[in-house]
Amino acid sequence: MKIKKILVANRGEIALRVLKTAKEMGIKVVTVYAEDDKNLPHALFADESYSLGSGALSETYLNKTKLIEITKRCGADAIHPGYGFLSENEEFARMVEKAGIIFIGPTPESIVLMGDKIGSKKALEKIKIPLTPGYHGDDQTDETLMKEAKRIGYPVLIKASAGGGGKGMRIVHQDSELLESIQGAKSEGLKSFSSDKVLIEKYVVNPRHIEVQLMSDTHGNHLHFFERECSIQRRYQKVVEETPAPNMTQETRLRICETAVEIARGINYRGAATVEFIMAQDGNYYFMEMNTRLQVEHPVTEMVTGADLVKCQILVAQGDKLPMKQSEIKQKGQAIECRIYAEDPDNNFMPSIGKIDTIGVPTLRDVRLDCGFLDGTEVGVNYDPMLAKLVVWGENRELAISKSIHSLDEVLFLGVKTNRDYLKRILAHKDFVDGHTHTHFIPDHKKDLEPNEMTADDLASLIAALSFSQKKQFHSSSTSTLSNPWTSLSGFRN
Amino acid sequence: MDKSFIINGKEVRVQDFKHSHDTVTFSYEGKNYFYSLISRDGHEMILDDKGGRFKAAVATANRDGESMVIAAGKEAIIAEAGKKMKKAGSHAGGLTSPMPGKIFKILKDAGSEVKKGEPILILEAMKMEHSIRSDKDGKIKKIFFKVGELVQGGVTLAEVES
Repeated sequence: MKIKKILVANRGEIALRVLKTAKEMGIKVVTVYAEDDKNLPHALFADESYSLGSGALSETYLNKTKLIEITKRCGADAIHPGYGFLSENEEFARMVEKAGIIFIGPTPESIVLMGDKIGSKKALEKIKIPLTPGYHGDDQTDETLMKEAKRIGYPVLIKASAGGGGKGMRIVHQDSELLESIQGAKSEGLKSFSSDKVLIEKYVVNPRHIEVQLMSDTHGNHLHFFERECSIQRRYQKVVEETPAPNMTQETRLRICETAVEIARGINYRGAATVEFIMAQDGNYYFMEMNTRLQVEHPVTEMVTGADLVKCQILVAQGDKLPMKQSEIKQKGQAIECRIYAEDPDNNFMPSIGKIDTIGVPTLRDVRLDCGFLDGTEVGVNYDPMLAKLVVWGENRELAISKSIHSLDEVLFLGVKTNRDYLKRILAHKDFVDGHTHTHFIPDHKKDLEPNEMTADDLASLIAALSFSQKKQFHSSSTSTLSNPWTSLSGFRN
Repeated sequence: MDKSFIINGKEVRVQDFKHSHDTVTFSYEGKNYFYSLISRDGHEMILDDKGGRFKAAVATANRDGESMVIAAGKEAIIAEAGKKMKKAGSHAGGLTSPMPGKIFKILKDAGSEVKKGEPILILEAMKMEHSIRSDKDGKIKKIFFKVGELVQGGVTLAEVES
């Protein structure tokens, strides 16, 4: 059956991302929005858009019944959940299928299996996938958890079994921090994922975060689209992602991608997934988790392989075969994604809020800004602080880095403090340039990543700009002396 | 005339500041600066500093009178000195909120004794919990908010005296 109309049960840039591919495929798109999002582009640019009302997330983007009602009412035949929100909620997937609607994602059984970090590891042990030493038991008493943490040996990582995105996660280095960390992870897990089950793992020192993009159809084809290197993180949130991973032999690359495919085959998976691995400095890798959805950083894979992963998802959901063979998927050039967050990296990454007066547009070729905001829209505290993803392709890694740095200057978010300058400092850092990435890159290079002092000339220019903005009336003659200054200058939207 | 600006929290004082028609001139650290406005379009403008032209943009000022300004690729938060208001709830020497959020739990009451590193209250932001811990051994002098209240980033939440 061909999908004719998709409801996107999400917001912001990912809702727009799905919309874009659906339009390429001639499919109608319905979006939904919470009232505080009604001016955002995902609410404005779809074929139809419906309000989810206001209030807590459980009343809006997480309101399963309301989403299914709207889908039926508008006659959509499929729901795309995006990432986050209900994308890995098995109850929602079940409800959608029961209502006779196609869920563009995995089966509820796969979501249950991989959503439970404990259950997934048990299943993978059976098919001989390498795992890190840890405790994944059902006995969740504080006493048992403390005993197991001590058995595994510090440092250990405690995380919410149903978790992701750094929520409900704690590293413990010594006995005195243990109990508080266990209780904190449980409480956050309960709040964010409605489950206080936690697991404990050995914490690998200076690990790399390497993940593999997978796509499976319902005809027994399980393909990988190579790896992504996502080690540059702050507080377990990815900041910079790229592919191919630097400093990785082709042999290791193929081995880790094959391991990921074995997992998909082993659980008879359907749709898009990402297997995340911890890679130790010696090249050994351990399964961390499998995310049963499209990832935030999927565009870098699209840039180097030329595949449209959302299109693959839609094809698989309507029962088609994947339109490519493994041997046809190749990595060409290098792609880097920078996540632009509303935050102040020079002030402990404090989130920032406010009105965006102007968003800059990138001008170079093969540069993509996936952004869920428009000029004049507001950034609040209710949602994730990610404003946009800058995705840049270059013929080689050196060019991808230099193009990214150039583009970061262009994509200003005037009015809201962002991490743009900080991202430039990361990309320009010698260790990043040399490909020496690991998950402690940001804390380890804290000193190097501090902002450069401004010169007297910088300060003077800033003062001049502020002063001009405060003078309200100008003679028209003064602003028309140049016919069009924008043509000779690139960067800002015009 | 001298004029002062607060740039990223630091005071910068310039001399002989003049702002007439479409030029701005002043001297700073012994150097004379001369800027002219070439064009503007909404928040964005092109300036000339006699050495060359560069782009600049100034955001709408916030309630504290501060604007984000971008000039020649540099970004800063600027306010004219005197125009910047004192932020509500800012108290010297207290424990501040690391980010905007909601007071989730208050673990200790005013008047109780705390040890350094002991959590006093929990702030919820972006669906995560952040413990606000005492920075010294002492007694809690005051807690400025109640459970459920929304707070801005950088606001003093509690004060502890040793």
